[in-house]
Amino acid sequence: MKRSRSQPPGLAGPGALLRLLAPIRTHLAVCAVLSCLSAAAGIVPYIAVAEMARLMLDDPAGSRTAIWTWVGVGAAGAGVWLVLFVQSSRVGHYADAAILHDLRVRIVTHLGRLPLGWFRAAGSGKVKRAMTGDLEEMHEVIAHALGQLVGATTVMVVATGYLLFVDVRMALVVLGVLLLTGIFFRVSMRSMTAHMDRLVTADARISAASVEYADGIQVVKTFGTGGRVLRRFDDAVDEHTRAFAAWVAEVRHSSAASRLFGSEMTVLAAVTAAGLALVDRGLLGVADLVAFLVVAIGLPNSILPAVTAAQGVRKGRMGAANIERLLARAPLPEPANPRTPGGHGVEFDRVSFSYDGVTNAVEEISAVCPPGRVTAIVGPSGAGKTTLASLLPRFYDVSAGSLRIGGVDVRSIPSAQLLASMSLVFQDVALLRDSVAENIRIGRPGAGDAEVREAAEAAHVHDVIEALPDGYGTLLDASGGGLSGGERQRLTIARAILSGAPIVVLDEATAALDADSESAVQEALANLTVDKTVIVIAHRLHTIAAADQILVLENGRLAEQGRHDELLVRDGLYARMWAAQEGVLA
Amino acid sequence: MIRRLYRLWPNPKLLARLWALTAAQAVLQGLLLALLIPILDAVIRPEPDVGAATPWLVLGAVGALLYAVLSVVATPVGFAASGTLAAQLRRRLMRHVSTLTLGWFTADHKARLARAVTADVGNAAHLAVTIGGPVITSTLLPATIVVVTFAVDWRMALLLCVIALVAYLALRRAARIAEITEIELERAAAGVASRAIELGQAQPVLRAAGHAEGTPQMRAALEDHRETYRDGMRRARRPFFIYTGVIMAGFVAVLALTAELLLSGRIEVATAIVLLVLAARFLEPLGNLIELIGALRALRNQIARVEELLATPTLPVPAEPVRRIAEADVEFSDVTFTYPGGDTPALKGVSLRCRAGTTTALVGPSGSGKTTVTRLIARFFDIDSGALRVGGVDVRELDPGTLLDEIAIVFQDVYLFDDTIEDNLRLARPEATWDELREAATAARLDEVIERLPAGWRTRVGEGGAQLSGGERQRVAIARAMLKRARVVLVDEASSALDPENEAAITRAIANLGADPGRTVVVIAHRPATLAAADHVVALDGGRVVEAGTREELLRAGGAFARLSSQYERARHWRIAKADR
Repeated sequence: MKRSRSQPPGLAGPGALLRLLAPIRTHLAVCAVLSCLSAAAGIVPYIAVAEMARLMLDDPAGSRTAIWTWVGVGAAGAGVWLVLFVQSSRVGHYADAAILHDLRVRIVTHLGRLPLGWFRAAGSGKVKRAMTGDLEEMHEVIAHALGQLVGATTVMVVATGYLLFVDVRMALVVLGVLLLTGIFFRVSMRSMTAHMDRLVTADARISAASVEYADGIQVVKTFGTGGRVLRRFDDAVDEHTRAFAAWVAEVRHSSAASRLFGSEMTVLAAVTAAGLALVDRGLLGVADLVAFLVVAIGLPNSILPAVTAAQGVRKGRMGAANIERLLARAPLPEPANPRTPGGHGVEFDRVSFSYDGVTNAVEEISAVCPPGRVTAIVGPSGAGKTTLASLLPRFYDVSAGSLRIGGVDVRSIPSAQLLASMSLVFQDVALLRDSVAENIRIGRPGAGDAEVREAAEAAHVHDVIEALPDGYGTLLDASGGGLSGGERQRLTIARAILSGAPIVVLDEATAALDADSESAVQEALANLTVDKTVIVIAHRLHTIAAADQILVLENGRLAEQGRHDELLVRDGLYARMWAAQEGVLA
Repeated sequence: MIRRLYRLWPNPKLLARLWALTAAQAVLQGLLLALLIPILDAVIRPEPDVGAATPWLVLGAVGALLYAVLSVVATPVGFAASGTLAAQLRRRLMRHVSTLTLGWFTADHKARLARAVTADVGNAAHLAVTIGGPVITSTLLPATIVVVTFAVDWRMALLLCVIALVAYLALRRAARIAEITEIELERAAAGVASRAIELGQAQPVLRAAGHAEGTPQMRAALEDHRETYRDGMRRARRPFFIYTGVIMAGFVAVLALTAELLLSGRIEVATAIVLLVLAARFLEPLGNLIELIGALRALRNQIARVEELLATPTLPVPAEPVRRIAEADVEFSDVTFTYPGGDTPALKGVSLRCRAGTTTALVGPSGSGKTTVTRLIARFFDIDSGALRVGGVDVRELDPGTLLDEIAIVFQDVYLFDDTIEDNLRLARPEATWDELREAATAARLDEVIERLPAGWRTRVGEGGAQLSGGERQRVAIARAMLKRARVVLVDEASSALDPENEAAITRAIANLGADPGRTVVVIAHRPATLAAADHVVALDGGRVVEAGTREELLRAGGAFARLSSQYERARHWRIAKADR
């Protein structure tokens, strides 16, 4: 962990793969040795065929024992090949399963230390990709590519060695053919990267166009603009075809040549032509020719897996680089000298924060939220309301100034303790794939069933839960298991009530709800906020008209501050917003 | 498999040509190997006589040349095939999808479409070309060799037949087990994936609960994946072991049979050697087949996903559709409808009428069927029984294009194309003049939004309209409806996620929509102001119409609507602080 953290971020190349695989180095080495030995044993049956042919040509009757011995050797080779191959695959898969598991645990652990803001920006998709896609590409390398590369190399070396031993001139002919194949292959792959980039871009455009079409389908259909949007899709497909054609045009000849030279038939033709010429001149024994016919012809085929494996390794490197980049992401600094807050009041002291380091999303905000009181944050969209509230649980750390709870800077409070001291009730409800009871209990692990039920009652969700097929034991899936938005929201409020955290942060908690579920959620919130330090972000001003204090933000700055009546008298931004809203409601 | 691939492409000639070329190459390969019989026969003599093999060598040279030509011809065909096939299939898929009903486009289906149109089609086209070759070679070449071997020695030929048969059975078993393992692995991987998503979404909760290092469930999912993987590999190894064992045993049997036949004097030395060479060439490609089953399975899965999309039925279109309606009335009479795959009807015996020039407000708790009513009007789905008429014509008799021409939809999540505001509006009527654009924008209260934007009308709105707030996007949708002069406008009012400014603007804009005497507005209402402006209120509950009338009538009646209204009132006057303050 420490080592990877010291790596500069963005480092790719083979290094990342090697570093991540370091813990299973021994297994991989064993796997490679076994692959190597098994590949060598795999050629033995072919050599046995060649040697049997030699004996038969020599003196069949006189070498009866020797012939049967070679049958035995061939059988032994086949058996050893099989056993070693299976062993190598077993070791590879064992190590593979172990390292994938360990890396996933490492990722999960590391994620638990990243600033929460990262999750907001990256989304759960990125977490999922690291935990599945990227790792699976590494798996390809460990489980398949390594063995294939080692195996193909061994076959090449052993077979070439044998052929050189049989006849140097003929072996050189075969190697010449293989060399030509290699050269043409390299030529055909030379410009691959450039073309790949263009193809990948075209692919992304196709994907974007199809997503755009599907997302905008209502517009597409009701405005009859299907043709226009489909044209975008068609253009993307055309571009892909063109990009592909451009690549093909460039490599057509070289790849046809590499295909031709890499085929068994070319080797067969070369071996037969050269061999017969030598036999005719008495420079080569027929037995040696047969050896080449048996062993050399299969060589091109045994190299093919190495080509696929090389591509797998390339992908694996990319996956490893992604994972390492994630692991190298700086964790949220934990305090060296942790302190415990001396109360539940919140104090913003000239707080500024910038997402990009250029413009401040909130700037120089100072305010005191007294314990047990309600502080509302209002303002037009984009004013910085959510940003300001998310500094409190340290989704992000302030760029300047200080944010204190009970007189202690939030950065000096251990993050688990900080988070446990507040309930966050946001619009996007996060439920766990677990039972209803556990979803509430996570607010205070160890709480008894009676307490869970009490919290559910206070959150006005008990009756809803009782009506579920398995009551509190009902399992919720990612989509919330048939609960409506308001019911899901109340479940998270029950969680918050159970936790009893002294600080409550509400962000538009009722905004996305139907009016009927809204009133139930409101009653639940009323129970949650009793005697808590409440910080609430609101769009609908009437909900916070009775707040102890209202902070009015505009363009990241604190424009006004005060109680509802005071702000109305001042006749500023708040008064204007209020008038606009009342105008609608009146 | 071949048939399925063939059916998938509108123009399969390319694929057929490619496969025919590959097949010809495989057979030619076998025949060229057969030429070794007379050639070896000529040289395996006490005095090798290459001259005697000359005719065969000439034939071989011609064959090899032919093979080279086929090789060179096949390469570009293969390339072209994989490119063209992908493009063809992509177009076919999108064309098909564009005929599907709006109701089909759920998040899940959209994700499937995106996957099919990019990854699945691309991989399938690539695999159909790259895997097709080796599969054909690995089957046709051994088959050709068996036939040739019959000409040399029937016993060896029989042995090869037996090996091929046993290998085929072992291969089938291996494929079956690999498939089961894959399903289990996918299940375990899906478990990890969904826990990963949960980890991303619920991170603050998990940390507060002391699960910063992952929940026990997360750990269990990881353990499960590791065990499933190990277990699966263990099981998949066996059939692989058996298949390769069969090939190896075959090899040894060939060696033994050749030795036995030669040593017992039943065949000549030359024949023995020819048999050994042929058998080696027979077994090698056969052994490679097992490497291909993984890719074949992947291909099959990809094809299946594409096929599934292509098999989605479209809404039936009448033979002689009605292409014009006189008035834009909307009428439900005794409509019952159940969502595909649902068990309880979303609407039960619903009858209601929305007259042209009026605004009808739909109210009711969530799940009462409000949204379903609007969806059915736009024919997202077809009703199960009863009749749904627009302009007096059953929507199923209407030309789908005509129906959609008359309708504009303003839903809660308005999607905008990543274009300028102007272009997004012009979608509704490409030939609109500037005056018309401005007029629509003003009526939708979009003018003030445009004024504020950095580049005014030419401001790009970002993917999906990300640069605008939800309320602002709704105003764009309303402006489009105005510009389109749609006679039926369906509005799903944003429930409450609006800031005061947007709320006021949208209420005004909806009122403006309803001001047109020829227009029928159906709005799913969440705000008292909208309800107050409606001519007619329909209250739904549990998929039935429970009340209908003007707002005043329903309030007086004291039924469901009155209850709902008081709930609205309560929500509206709710204060986050304690009541006594």
